[in-house]
Amino acid sequence: MGETKQMTAKELSKRLTKTYYEGAKHAHEQGKFIAYTTAVSPAELFYAHDVIPIYPENHSVMMITHRMTAELSESIERKGYTSHLCAYARSDLGFRELHKSPIGGIPDPDFLLACNAQCFTLTKWFEVLSRRYDAPLFVFDTPQFIRDKKAREEIIKYVMEQIYEMIEALERLTGKKFDFDRLREVIEYSRQASILYKKYLDLASYKPSPISIFDALINMAITVYLRGTPDAVEFYRLLIDETMENKVKKGIGVIPNEKYRLYWENLPIWFKFRDHFNLLASYGAVILTSLYVHAWSYDFDPSDPVRTLAENYASVFSNVELEERAEMALDLFKRYSLNGNLMFLNRSCKAVSFAVHELRDIITKKTGVPALVFESDMGDPRFYSESQIRTRIEAYLETLDQLSYDRERGLRD
Amino acid sequence: MKKEDVLKTLHEISMDPFPYLESKREKGFKIIGSPLADVPSELIHAAGLMPVTILGTNRPIVKAGGHLPDNACSLSRSNLELVLNYQPRSFDGFVFPQVCDTTQHLSDIWKMTISSEFFASFLIPRQVDRPSARHWFYAETRRLKEQLEAYTGNPFGREALEESFSLYNEARRLLRKIYGIKRKNPAALSNRQLFDLIRAFCYMDPRDLIPMLETMTENLPKEKAEDENVRVVLSGIVVEPSQLLDILDELGVSIVGDDLTVGTRMIAYDVPEAEDPLEALTARHFDKSPFSPIRDVGTRLYDHLLGLFETTGADGIIFFHIKFCESQDYDLPDLKHIMRERRIPMIVLDTEYQSVTKAQTKTRLEAFIESLYGERENG
Ligand code: SF4
Ligand code: SF4
Repeated sequence: MGETKQMTAKELSKRLTKTYYEGAKHAHEQGKFIAYTTAVSPAELFYAHDVIPIYPENHSVMMITHRMTAELSESIERKGYTSHLCAYARSDLGFRELHKSPIGGIPDPDFLLACNAQCFTLTKWFEVLSRRYDAPLFVFDTPQFIRDKKAREEIIKYVMEQIYEMIEALERLTGKKFDFDRLREVIEYSRQASILYKKYLDLASYKPSPISIFDALINMAITVYLRGTPDAVEFYRLLIDETMENKVKKGIGVIPNEKYRLYWENLPIWFKFRDHFNLLASYGAVILTSLYVHAWSYDFDPSDPVRTLAENYASVFSNVELEERAEMALDLFKRYSLNGNLMFLNRSCKAVSFAVHELRDIITKKTGVPALVFESDMGDPRFYSESQIRTRIEAYLETLDQLSYDRERGLRD
Repeated sequence: MKKEDVLKTLHEISMDPFPYLESKREKGFKIIGSPLADVPSELIHAAGLMPVTILGTNRPIVKAGGHLPDNACSLSRSNLELVLNYQPRSFDGFVFPQVCDTTQHLSDIWKMTISSEFFASFLIPRQVDRPSARHWFYAETRRLKEQLEAYTGNPFGREALEESFSLYNEARRLLRKIYGIKRKNPAALSNRQLFDLIRAFCYMDPRDLIPMLETMTENLPKEKAEDENVRVVLSGIVVEPSQLLDILDELGVSIVGDDLTVGTRMIAYDVPEAEDPLEALTARHFDKSPFSPIRDVGTRLYDHLLGLFETTGADGIIFFHIKFCESQDYDLPDLKHIMRERRIPMIVLDTEYQSVTKAQTKTRLEAFIESLYGERENG
């Protein structure tokens, strides 16, 4: 502890990530089990049972940011997979062909859990892995969390029953009895980390904003794979203190001359986000948030562990009806005073992109903020057209400029 | 009605069911459409409504494109187009099943763009291997029943359900019988004709269909006949456009089995007898053969097709891949590998509702069928 006090949040994040992957790498030698799981999933069950959760999606992000995806994808396209699949899946399956990875790879799974609150792709991707490693796959099925009250009660019941099934599966896998007290403890850490993480995201409501979405994305990883541990709690505490100290208290924004506070729909274009940040900053624009980064702002109640896991994971933004998802986004528009809207139609991710046109209609109608919808891929540069996207973003920012010019002169509401 | 007339009528309905459905509507039935995927038609029928499985359109995409990403599957695109553009007033309501990302999010688009008196999501369990799946299917079926009752204002019970079960079971039994006759005597009816009947089953009230199928079974040759054709098993979700079946007829192919959703999977599984009718529907759901988007036990998805190939003594497999069906996209590389390892001839055709006559598809099919004939000659 004494040592970490001196550390910056960035250093701590690096250290935690390193320790986590090192631990995973040697898990099998130490007789520990490895479970692959999805970014949105009741990973608390794994931490409570001393099973190490590994997130192939996170690993894929690393491969994408190291610009390895085209090569990895081509290696599996030769085996018959299509380039239309999610770039995470393609990077991961490619890694298994070429054994290339910026961190020396991730260990093979003993067990897989796919939670479809996030998407259905993961089920199919994990099915491929389950056959490859002959490891059991547990599909944690979360039906669309439709608004109907009665349906919701039934859905929660179904999801809770699956948590008990999952616990049994873990007991079978490890031959060890599951400890519910330990689960409560883990959920308590998750609760604290989630609250702090959300608090961190909400710093974007300051004007000027001390953080952009790119900070949120970089700092999201810890809550994705370490929520449920005291390390995650410590990390977000440090991160908030630091941002308050260095930015908020001094009134320093993440960009000088902040003019446009943008919403971003969907996942980021991982391999481009620095370029996007710079391009936007040159116009006084900064992307502050998205529903995607908020997907980990959970609200756990450790006193009722099974129910709280069911409720939190079934109701993630990608699993609710479109109107409700639009309301979640509108809440961010309001709380963060957003005045621009970039909507990325991500060909990798049908789960989040599918109804983007309808989502735009609702948000535009309710906010009066024009939106730019553009199509590309979050991870595969072969589907990214630099000049086209740049031109469209520039044209959009010029529209915003015109709009604010008109508004200042009372030419528009 | 004569057998020929029956075939003609059912062919017409299979190509365009809307005049028939309009006539049902004139008789006071409300038309309830459901995209393909395990919605229990019996339940809708027992509510006094007219259930219809929506099987897309082969006509050009005009309106749906603006609502969907470019890589949305051909099935969802053509379903949305049908309802948005070509038949906007033909349905009174929808029961919308969700099995994959596409169906889940299409359901949202559908609700927002198509006005109807009734809309219910049917949230099928996307796993079948644990007790929770059964409990959930039961709960969801009960919820659908309540929604249907609220819509019609007429609660219905065991009697109505059992009547619908027995009507649908009877129609399925007759279809299986006809399939069986064709297996024994492939010349009895063409591949296209067989699948026309199955499509008609998706569209029709079994009360209207059963007498026609009876005429068929009475007038089809029952004796076994020698068959020179190569024998194939069809695999996938749906064969679209159905003209592909005509091509199989032209090429001298006998279909001896299939695992298609619009095929055997639709007609093979009857509702059993049970104390509780909703329990009976649940039991039937879990009897069904695997379905690509639903997580099944272990490798059952593949084992089932291998079993089918072996028991039917087929010469090869034709797999129909729907363009941009993500689910099949993930299944196919391993499936191809398995077949290659076992030296089972299989061809994968990329199909799209809007490309009715693709010369390339025909050429590939021709080459495949020729190779099957060739292999047979070489023993
Ligand atoms: S990017 Fe989308 S499709 Fe890919 S794993 Fe994530 S949620 Fe699923
Ligand atoms: S299972 Fe495939 S064909 Fe069916 S809706 Fe989903 S993506 Fe389309």
